[in-house]
Amino acid sequence: METHMYEADGTSKVTQWQDTMYGLDSGIQSGATTVRDDGDYSSSKHVTTTTTTVMSEQPVDTHFTRAQRVRAAMFPETVESGTIIVSTQIDPSQMTNVQRLAEPSQMLKMAIIHLINYQDDAELATRAVPELTKLLNDEDQVVVGKAAQIVNQLTRKEASRRAMMQSPQMVAAVVRAMQNTCDMETAKATASILHNLSHQREGLLSIFKSGGIPALVRMLSSPMESVLFYAITTLHNLLLHQEGAKMAVRLADGLQKMVPLLKKSNSKFLAITTDCLQLLSYGNQESKLIILSNGGPEGLVHIMRNYNYEKLLWTTSRVLKVLSVCPSNKPAIVEAGGMQALGNHLQGSSQRLMQNCLWTLRNLSDAATKQEGMESLLQVLVGLLSSDDINMLTCATGILSNLTCNNAHNKTQVTQGNGVEALIHAILRAGEKEDVVEPAVCALRHLTSRHQQAEMAQHAVRQHYGIPAIVKLLNQPYYWPVIKAVVGLIRNLALCPENQAPLRDAGAIPRLVNLLLKAHQDAQKHGSSTQQTYQDGVRMEEIVEGSTGALHILARDPINRAEIANLQTVPLFVQLLYSPVDNVKRVAAGVLCELALDKQSAELIDSEGASAPLMDLLHSNNEGIATYAAAVLFRISEDKNSDYKKRVSVELTHSLFKHDPQAWELAHNSVPMDGPYSEEMDPNFPSYEAYPGDMHMDRMEGVMMPDEFNMPYERTDNY
Amino acid sequence: MNREEAPGKSPEDMYVQQKVRVLLMLKKMGSNLTPSEEAFLRNYAGVVHSQMSQLPQHNIDQGAEDVVMAFSRQEAEDRRQ
Repeated sequence: METHMYEADGTSKVTQWQDTMYGLDSGIQSGATTVRDDGDYSSSKHVTTTTTTVMSEQPVDTHFTRAQRVRAAMFPETVESGTIIVSTQIDPSQMTNVQRLAEPSQMLKMAIIHLINYQDDAELATRAVPELTKLLNDEDQVVVGKAAQIVNQLTRKEASRRAMMQSPQMVAAVVRAMQNTCDMETAKATASILHNLSHQREGLLSIFKSGGIPALVRMLSSPMESVLFYAITTLHNLLLHQEGAKMAVRLADGLQKMVPLLKKSNSKFLAITTDCLQLLSYGNQESKLIILSNGGPEGLVHIMRNYNYEKLLWTTSRVLKVLSVCPSNKPAIVEAGGMQALGNHLQGSSQRLMQNCLWTLRNLSDAATKQEGMESLLQVLVGLLSSDDINMLTCATGILSNLTCNNAHNKTQVTQGNGVEALIHAILRAGEKEDVVEPAVCALRHLTSRHQQAEMAQHAVRQHYGIPAIVKLLNQPYYWPVIKAVVGLIRNLALCPENQAPLRDAGAIPRLVNLLLKAHQDAQKHGSSTQQTYQDGVRMEEIVEGSTGALHILARDPINRAEIANLQTVPLFVQLLYSPVDNVKRVAAGVLCELALDKQSAELIDSEGASAPLMDLLHSNNEGIATYAAAVLFRISEDKNSDYKKRVSVELTHSLFKHDPQAWELAHNSVPMDGPYSEEMDPNFPSYEAYPGDMHMDRMEGVMMPDEFNMPYERTDNY
Repeated sequence: MNREEAPGKSPEDMYVQQKVRVLLMLKKMGSNLTPSEEAFLRNYAGVVHSQMSQLPQHNIDQGAEDVVMAFSRQEAEDRRQ
């Protein structure tokens, strides 16, 4: 077969192909092969391969040459119907050369045809561009509309599309027509053109340079769904692949237009819209605030609550994750029910969705401590503690730690839902992964205090063999945030008398004393109370306070008390009475108060010169400090002479009753005539009005009156 | 005791008042008392009774308040799929 493909013009070439009975119409004139359904928002490619199989038959006509057999294999459409081509195949397992070449040669033939058509399309389009551009700029809107339809058709095929996008004037004309038209079909056609162009980088650039972005943003207000879809999809492609597009969309107030679109109901449309929001808001605080002010959190939470399309849920969760680091968006997302909505997607089959929801929940959790309706989420999180996925454990423990923070209801829920056991197992599995261990220990610390089931939680830790594992966390190498959490937990565990012996057996006391010594030495190195030592973000004064506080409660047990005293800790505790930090003073006075129950320790405390600082502490505004100090003084003065006791009494009088008229009245009326010290008290003891005037009386005004007591132990800096 | 007396009652009385209050506060905070201290409180039952109503109602030794952990300090981009 002979062809003269490279010599005739396009129309002739097509005619020639058709005359050779291939019956192929590329559609370049007729458009017959171009089919697009505007209602179908998905695109797909269909490839048809034709394979010719030549069957071996009884030889009827043996005059076919090799050339004829090759032609029949390459161009089966040229063989007259009814003709039987004889195969020369002898061995059924071995194909002849012609048979082997049949399919590859078919494919080559199709490729050549496509190349020819491409060339045709490109040439035609190039010649048509200037004319079409003029028509798009015409004043007559009917002309503009028709031109737009033609250009739309052309941009559906690659060759002609290339020609269009290479003409800045053409693209600008399309943009202008789209912006200015009042005709819906023209708007649809022009939006479709830009959408078609946006599938290639060159097209994106041409749209960007022609001011297409502001025009597309304006199209987001269109009442036509198809225009909306073309606009958002084109913008999405620009945001993904065109440098500068994000800034341009923001400048064109794109966010203000996109957020209200979250009310639409088409899942795929919403998926693209939310992905646009994520691209625009990631790392951009201003964008996040714009989303907030346009009702973004409510719209996004609504989607999480009401849709099942996985891709949409995933894209939406990504936006929420970006917003969840914004201090302004966080409370809005929580108030909109974000915690509960995200919690609904932690048990599905989509791993990526679950992980995004978990990270988002973790970010939000510190703003959700007072939220109600968390029961279901808490239960799911306790279940996730059995996972081996480190990311899942990190998130679950972190969220639980925050949701149980100062929330008695949540604490009770988690305790009753076997949360203690699950947390202990998570700690055991996590090993040295601090991102899991720290929040898990904090959660246990929360569960073991300040709610009705705290005692149950304290028992549960012991019953699930948690005490040795927890005490081991005090070993070196020290990661101070974990150490701080553990000493607080040990303090709570020691409140339960049954835990005292197991804590002792696990070696808690020497570890706590070592930590106290190290932290105190580090804190002393700075020499000034205004300079605080931080290690891993933790102040050493916090470790001093925490470890002393734990020893204070452990000292309630007599055997522990003896062990603590035998470790030569009394001098250090007396030194801590001079600390500028009230909390440290309080726990130091508290542990000395317990130690002073033993006579030997009481004498040692006295010999370390504790009386002087304790006398000062009687005047503390902190009732706990004053009480412990007084108790220690009472205990170390048991065997003292009456002068000493008088002095203690006078100090106490000045501190406790000076401006306490009701207590005066009560004392006046209710004290019995006989008491253990009446014979020892000197009747000529001077009244306190004559006491040296350097006493700070006014500080204690009303301090012992319950009505005026302002709960110092609820302050965050005190316990 | 005579109400018309000046507010400066005997040091012994004051001492008892102070000690009763301190011991009751200690009990409320969960601390232990010595046997002699327990006996002291029993001896001054009348004073104990009157002092009890003046004590703060809350348990003031509950330990450190819970503190949230701030996780949302930085954004982390996830792989686009």
